[in-house]
Amino acid sequence: MTPPTTPPTAPAAGREPIPSATEAAASGALLSAEALHKTYGATPALDGASFAIHPGEIVAVMGPSGSGKSTLLHCLAGIVQPDAGTVRYQGRELSALSDAERSALRRGEFGFVFQFGQLVPELTCTENVALPLRLTGMGRKEAESRALAWMDRLEVADVGPKRPGQISGGQGQRVAVARALVTHPRVVFADEPTGALDSLNGERVMQLLTEAARSTDAAVVLVTHEARVAAYSDREVVVRDGVARDMAGVR
Amino acid sequence: MTTTHPPGGRTRAPDHAGDSPVTDGQASARPPTDRRSLLTRWAADLLMGARFAFAGGREGWIRAVLTAVGVGLGAALLLAAASVPEVMAARDARGAERSASNYGPQVEAGPDTVRVGQANTDFRDRPVTGLLVRPDGDGRPPVPPGLEKLPATGEMAVSPALRDLLESPGSELLRERLDHRITAVIGDEGLTGPQELMYYAGAEESDFATGYSYHLDAFGNQGAADDPMPPELLLLVIIICVVLLLPVMIFMGTAVRFGGERRDRRLAALRLVGADGRMVRRIAAGEAMAGALLGLAVGGGLFLLLRSSAESLVMFNMSVFAADLRPAPALAALIVVAVPVAAVAVTLLVLRGVVIEPLGVVRSAVPRRRRLWWRLVLPALGLLLLLPLAGGFASTTDAAATFQVAAGTVFVLIGCAGLLPWLVESVVHRMSGGPVPWQLAVRRLQLSSGTAARAVSGITVAVAGAVALQMLFSATQAENTEATGHDTSRAQMQVYADAEDAGAARELTDRLGAAEGVTGTIGYIQASATSQETGTAGSGEAGGYDAAQWTSIQVADCASLRELIAIGSRCADGDVFVTRPAGDDAPSALPGPAESQSWVRPGTTVDLRWDEEGMVAEDPVRWTVPDSAREVDSREDPLGGRQEGIFLTPSVLDTDMLQEPSAVAQIRVDPRNPDAPEHVRNAAAAVSPLVNVFTLHGSAENSLFTTIKRGLFIGATATLVLIGASMILSTLEQLRERRRLLSVLVAFGTRRSTMAWSVLGQTALPVALGLILAAVGGLGLGAVLLALVDLPLSVDWASLALLTGAGAAVVLGVTALSMPPLWRMMRPEGLRTE
Repeated sequence: MTPPTTPPTAPAAGREPIPSATEAAASGALLSAEALHKTYGATPALDGASFAIHPGEIVAVMGPSGSGKSTLLHCLAGIVQPDAGTVRYQGRELSALSDAERSALRRGEFGFVFQFGQLVPELTCTENVALPLRLTGMGRKEAESRALAWMDRLEVADVGPKRPGQISGGQGQRVAVARALVTHPRVVFADEPTGALDSLNGERVMQLLTEAARSTDAAVVLVTHEARVAAYSDREVVVRDGVARDMAGVR
Repeated sequence: MTTTHPPGGRTRAPDHAGDSPVTDGQASARPPTDRRSLLTRWAADLLMGARFAFAGGREGWIRAVLTAVGVGLGAALLLAAASVPEVMAARDARGAERSASNYGPQVEAGPDTVRVGQANTDFRDRPVTGLLVRPDGDGRPPVPPGLEKLPATGEMAVSPALRDLLESPGSELLRERLDHRITAVIGDEGLTGPQELMYYAGAEESDFATGYSYHLDAFGNQGAADDPMPPELLLLVIIICVVLLLPVMIFMGTAVRFGGERRDRRLAALRLVGADGRMVRRIAAGEAMAGALLGLAVGGGLFLLLRSSAESLVMFNMSVFAADLRPAPALAALIVVAVPVAAVAVTLLVLRGVVIEPLGVVRSAVPRRRRLWWRLVLPALGLLLLLPLAGGFASTTDAAATFQVAAGTVFVLIGCAGLLPWLVESVVHRMSGGPVPWQLAVRRLQLSSGTAARAVSGITVAVAGAVALQMLFSATQAENTEATGHDTSRAQMQVYADAEDAGAARELTDRLGAAEGVTGTIGYIQASATSQETGTAGSGEAGGYDAAQWTSIQVADCASLRELIAIGSRCADGDVFVTRPAGDDAPSALPGPAESQSWVRPGTTVDLRWDEEGMVAEDPVRWTVPDSAREVDSREDPLGGRQEGIFLTPSVLDTDMLQEPSAVAQIRVDPRNPDAPEHVRNAAAAVSPLVNVFTLHGSAENSLFTTIKRGLFIGATATLVLIGASMILSTLEQLRERRRLLSVLVAFGTRRSTMAWSVLGQTALPVALGLILAAVGGLGLGAVLLALVDLPLSVDWASLALLTGAGAAVVLGVTALSMPPLWRMMRPEGLRTE
């Protein structure tokens, strides 16, 4: 697959009415959210946001700073419990799951890539990538062998024995992508995965992330405020004032 | 150009177990469902945690080493403390085995007995235990432990330490005194400690002529019973143990929390990749346990190191055999189990206040202000345990009461440590303004004062305990220390010997007077006399003697007599004096009230001889006090006693007429000659090793009290060293955790001095509050403890100031030592480290 080298074309004027995220989502969504509300103290982060994503789909969640896009991602991933509304994964309501069950989902079904800080600084890069497999009980050798294969694919096999503090930001993000994908997740959550990188490194990380996700048929929820990054997605959802709008029709 | 893939337009790639996801279509297989048993999962999590304890390259190892050294120092001290019962038991057992005292019926000389005389001496403030031995017959005399046979006349068996001392340069004066040929070395079983100075010398019959001797048919304590420890001393021992060991345990709790912030971030990262709450707790427990186990291993190593060097250490005249320094098995097992368990418990307790969420760490305790009420529960509980025993502990022998006191004290002291975070928070909450360093310090403390408070809680407990102990000590000291009444300005040493005859007594006083460094001697020959008329069998009140019929005779020159009786300048050879009766409260050298000796008047005839049972001898030697004798008042001698009776100048009486005379010499030595006491001892030993030489002191302590005090000094030194070392570790760890922040501050131009003052402020403020709390808590606890043993309340404010000053000095020293690493960490390059 050839990555886009230029941002996608901006939506044309005189657009059609913007559909809601759920309307845009076809039936049989892998992961969906309905009317999510979340307030931090007196500040509302989500105010009735809805969202859906299908297997293998890459959806960019965009919006200005403080619009609630990261909160939406955290709710979708079961990291944060919404105050109201439902999140369903394969028909199961996340809020009904116990902490252990949600943790099991994160271990096996979900993968995460954040802007920074998600790698365990004490472990080597290989060990970091192998960690989700080790948590499921896989033997060290096998887990690290799989980890190395993913790192090779993401072009960071050479930093395997190094620790996160000893590698560059771009390499660190690729290691994080490898870790997110090593369990062959059904959904990858990526929150500003290129936010701390220069454009060249950002492009390469996105290229590798989307390529790898597509090859494993993983859905990707991609939170970003950069149009260049959003260009890698199949569909865009814009969050503003805590409400999500699907931009598929516009695009 | 936008790459689009219609949703649902692709199918999920098949799983391929073990495949490498190098190319499309060969995606890695999903991990298998976790089918491990509960036990296996637990073990895996604990192991992973253990791995984290050491992971992270240099940083990880530094953290692990800090924790291990911290826990190890504490564990080593605990192991040493656990060895004390064994050390004391072994020491006492060996001391009892070799004891040459006979508390039973008097042993008559026989073919299987040995004649012994205590020939203890001192050499430059170190006590030398000595025994003169001479078999009474040709049988099989007893041999003390550590020897194969008794040394023959002119021979000597010595302890290894004494042998080394005698061989070392500078000990010529001791060699002069102990001039026997060394033919044997006393084995360990005959010594209380490896550095003990001891000898057995083979004596001639004539060596026993001067001094006290007796016969033994066996070595070892016979008929001696240990007195139970007085309650106030028992209480002291309990409090000492608590005060010394509690800071150690508090510090160990702090050490296992080293790297806490980093650990919390790591656990958050683990939550993100799917570890549930229980898993992260198990992982944290594994990490704490690994650190604690490594600490135990380090502690074991340090203890072995201490053990191997213990034999060469002499602290407060005590030395310990390495073989004796072994922890009591039950206590050792308790330490081995309790340290990791406590480490895990502390970690899990801390995690209760920190919710590890996938997106980071939420400190659930932060928004709430610390509450006072539950922090008062522990001290209140402690007081509830202590107060019912007020006034009654002195009369109890109940073990439960002992535990009650120990528990009560522990609760009050831990309560002090628990109150500190609340106090620090309450005080800093009200602070604002001030210069930048102060503002930085205060704001930091307002944000999180717990770490700073924890760092000083050990010293708070130690100082609070020490204040209470000091109060108990000063009150108990009065009970256990007697003013001797010695006037050390008139004499610094006394020599006393039972002489065979007056010639021997005179020889001794003459020799002493001529010894190097002696500037003056009050020397006299002392003997007893009895009433000619009534001192007969059956005439006394109890069918034996009436004490009133005895008197003493002192023969000395005028200079010496002036020190004993008030004669002014009116004295010449040939004069005789008798003392007037003194008041009841005047101390007398003879038993019985002073009036009892007032029967001697000018013209009274006394009998200078008596038989073995103290009766008037069949061939009495009578002597009449001349009518010219002057009646005078007695005066206190340098030992604070008053000699009563008859005082003669040398030409009045042929001293050979005196029966069983003693030689007494009170000696003034030249303070500029440090070896003068050694010359005096040598002069005395030249007459007989059995001559009793002792140094005058203003006060004398109960020996058990002295031992406890010695134990406290040893323990307090060890604890203070540990607290200092632990605080350095703790400060380093705090600085390491804040390295990035420090670098950020430096990066935008903060002066180093600003940061240094701010660090000092952050340390000094909690320390000041901790010391105030310690002083108040310690005074309160001390008052309660004094009430337990019915002693009056007294506070030695100077000692209190000294203790709090020592605590502050330790902290300031630690802060000063932490400055160099602080400078190093304040480099802008530190920004890159994370």
